[in-house]
Amino acid sequence: MLVETELIEKARGGDSSAFNQLVLAYRKRILGTISRLIGRPEDVEDVAQEVFVRLYYSLDQLRTAEVFEPWLYRLTVNAAYDYLRRSKRRRESRMADLSEQQVRMADSVAGGKQEGENQQKSRIREFMDALFRHVSEEDRLLLTLKEVEGLSLKELERIYRVNENALKVRLFRARQRVLKAYNAAVADGKL
Amino acid sequence: MTNDDSRLDQLFQTYRASCPDPEPQPDFMPTLWQKIEARRSFGFAFELWARTVVTASAALCVLLLFLNFVSPSQSHALAPTYVDALMADHTAENTYYTEAIRSAPPSEQSPEQTPAPPH
Repeated sequence: MLVETELIEKARGGDSSAFNQLVLAYRKRILGTISRLIGRPEDVEDVAQEVFVRLYYSLDQLRTAEVFEPWLYRLTVNAAYDYLRRSKRRRESRMADLSEQQVRMADSVAGGKQEGENQQKSRIREFMDALFRHVSEEDRLLLTLKEVEGLSLKELERIYRVNENALKVRLFRARQRVLKAYNAAVADGKL
Repeated sequence: MTNDDSRLDQLFQTYRASCPDPEPQPDFMPTLWQKIEARRSFGFAFELWARTVVTASAALCVLLLFLNFVSPSQSHALAPTYVDALMADHTAENTYYTEAIRSAPPSEQSPEQTPAPPH
């Protein structure tokens, strides 16, 4: 853990200064996780702040300070999930208003503004975003936590409060779907 | 592990590298506390609204209960009327069949149909 259990206990007791320290200790890690879960750098801070707002109002429900980290991850996953669902709805309604040519033009203009390494990173993020569209938002988050964040099955079990075997099955299926989409993209020459 | 799997793993690693831990903006904490306060005031307003609704619902329940006890005659008046109507309907049906048997002239009745006199 990044902080002492006493600090968590103090924050649970309503100590604003302890809560401030808690946020300062975890915010960079949470920002990083969210940035990989949602893949959109422009919205990372908003989602991270939502996580900490939820943390503030639900800290008194935490049973013990020892389970703080999986619990914080759980809040993070929930906030990222809510964001992905909202942005999916927005994207669908926005894309419905544009013709295919307009979408391609918008993409090329956006791509033209970025340069070099940033452009390459942005392309990878977009490509992964396209691959992740072949699985549900829940599976996207699970797959990212396991394969990108490098969390173990035990850690995932504590976050999701689901049996390890069920997680394995779900991960395998999600991975197979992404792999299929990846192979199709490679065959089409998109990569 | 197949070749496809290892390529996918490599892609996941590239994706991780393309999304490094971002540095928080300088206004991260002030904005966070603003959001906490905004949620608190919204929560307070919602709590007030919820309490008002619950109180109003409870008062309405008490009023309806009171009205139910104050005018019991109405419910008493309804019940017999309904039962009476059912009984009347049933009686009419009985009367119809009974009258049909009674209205037949005795000569038309066959000996088999004539009930045996009680001993």
